[in-house]
Amino acid sequence: MLVNYLLLTRFLLILTVIGSAFIIGAVIIALCGGNALLAFYWLFHGAFTPMLIPETLIRATPLLLISEGLVVAFSARMWNIGAEGQFYIGGVSAAIFCVVFKYVMLPLQPIALLFAGLSGALWALAPSILKVRYGINEIITTLMLNYIAIYFVSYLLQGPFRDPISMFPETESIPTHLQIPVVVSGTRLHLGVVFSFLVIVPIIYYFLERTNYGLKIKILGANPKAAQYSKIHSGRVMIQSMLISGFLAGLAGGIEVLAVQHKMRLELSPSYCQYGYTGIAIALLSYLNPILTAFISIFIGGLINGSMTMHRMASIPVGMANIIQSLIMVFILIGYYVEDKLSWRVLERLKGK
Amino acid sequence: MESFGEAEGEMNDLIFGLIYSSISLATPILLVSIAELIVEKGGILNLSIEGSMLIGAFSSFIIAYYTNNLLYASIAAALSGLLLCLLFAFLTITLALDQMVTGISLNLLALGVTSYLYRASFGWYVSPIPPRIERTIATFEIPILSRIPIVGELIFNHIPHTYVAFIMVFAFWLLLKTDLGLKIKAIGEDPEIAETLGVNVNALRYFLLFMEGIIAGISGSLLSTAYYNMFLDNMTSGRGYVAIALIILARWNPLLLFPTVYFFNFIDALQLRIQAIGLAWFPYQFSLMLPYLFTILALFIMGRKVRGPSSLAKPYRRLR
Repeated sequence: MLVNYLLLTRFLLILTVIGSAFIIGAVIIALCGGNALLAFYWLFHGAFTPMLIPETLIRATPLLLISEGLVVAFSARMWNIGAEGQFYIGGVSAAIFCVVFKYVMLPLQPIALLFAGLSGALWALAPSILKVRYGINEIITTLMLNYIAIYFVSYLLQGPFRDPISMFPETESIPTHLQIPVVVSGTRLHLGVVFSFLVIVPIIYYFLERTNYGLKIKILGANPKAAQYSKIHSGRVMIQSMLISGFLAGLAGGIEVLAVQHKMRLELSPSYCQYGYTGIAIALLSYLNPILTAFISIFIGGLINGSMTMHRMASIPVGMANIIQSLIMVFILIGYYVEDKLSWRVLERLKGK
Repeated sequence: MESFGEAEGEMNDLIFGLIYSSISLATPILLVSIAELIVEKGGILNLSIEGSMLIGAFSSFIIAYYTNNLLYASIAAALSGLLLCLLFAFLTITLALDQMVTGISLNLLALGVTSYLYRASFGWYVSPIPPRIERTIATFEIPILSRIPIVGELIFNHIPHTYVAFIMVFAFWLLLKTDLGLKIKAIGEDPEIAETLGVNVNALRYFLLFMEGIIAGISGSLLSTAYYNMFLDNMTSGRGYVAIALIILARWNPLLLFPTVYFFNFIDALQLRIQAIGLAWFPYQFSLMLPYLFTILALFIMGRKVRGPSSLAKPYRRLR
């Protein structure tokens, strides 16, 4: 009963949060002299028309993988801001792998993706060790590593791995036999989407909610002192949670390259809505719940695609998606506070009875 | 022999330019890091200075673009930086939410709002030549001192903000030794005890963030109206976070900010110079990385086990 009540308030809160973010977004559009109703009509049209739902799911996939990883890291209170860099590193290593092995006529996609994930995890290794061994704030180091990663990728794309034919700094196209195949013909819906939603989400859910290890992560996140008393190797758990997060972000980059872009480009994550930072918003908005994360990724993915439609049809800048997202984040923070107050009130009322 | 003298002269010019630009480029980070240092002494870790700087850079650019008045631009920067900082203060002090998460979210908000409004004012397809403002903040030569041969030109020929930042570091260093400074340190070490001793913790923290918001906004405005004459998306590119790292390196000592901030900016100026020279064997991306690599490396070498204020970044709920 109590749990149901709490879930209900949480659900209502999320709706309120999203609603109020949209209202403020509407005010901003109106202030800039646009028609908010028309804009939002096109926004939802572009996001959730049945024909466009596959596109929304494709957009949601990298967001989903990144935010699932961040859910794990944030649960252990490792504030990994570096998913953007890990995503880029994953993408570029998948592309390099495919360019190197392009004449091997074997379905090497799983190995390429594994390679992408591992390089993402490697990128997350240094900040986590610095945090655990030397107490250096991981927010700063992971953020610095984002810039380093993007400059590094830019170097690789303009230097050693540049496609000599192309006008842009990008790698060669990945040969067809190394691409991730499309599942539903007539759309771009690829196997990676199915894999992420139907395999990764349950795994992360099971891992966090049903295993001992997940419990350790949660205890560590909720109360580091309690973790110490219950003999959890907190350092090891923190590093591992960060590595999982880096792995998933790298995997996201790999899937994006092998299935959607078919080459590594500098705009792997669009500049108006960078996946690595959007993932933070999704992880927080879902209250670090792996299942809720899936739904919210779809929602935000739709928001991004919809804002493109909105831009074309109602000429509202694409950055609106970004604003609504960040407003959602701010409101969700206020929501944490409200929920805290509400649940106390409920508990007290129950005690009274 | 003559050619040798010329080469030497060039070398001197190079070194002079390098030192001059590292002093001049350091001003925004010096301003924001001294403000953040005091705030951290008071127990608040404000990551959203990055966002305050970005919003300051944007609003000062917009105002300067439309009014062509740099004073209005600075005021707009101060106010908008303050606005974001007050939002941060409300969320973390009044609602006692997690400071790191709040800071990150507000930075994303600042990024979204600035890039949206930039496109709303100048159109989505930003032309290859971005809109520019005509005048930038001019350097101000201090009358007599700037005549001193080399040192004068190096130190006393900058934008006014540089001198202000310089003075402010000493001012805040002295402030920490006063009664008010003691109170600030007390609420950073143990707010409960400070409260029982009659310090109004939340009011003092609001005051500190109020000051910081103004300073962060203005320091951000320097990027778009003093060094460049345009605005770029995510123009601050992590300078706020760098400032926080430099504070750790300075071990929360205002005077130690001088070596850390200037050394960091020396690296930054050096990488700009390397880019300009265009060394064939050294890709320009690697020189762009240098400041960030330096920050991590410096944290690794000197930032280990440095103890900050005990209650830094801990939410404080007033007992009733």
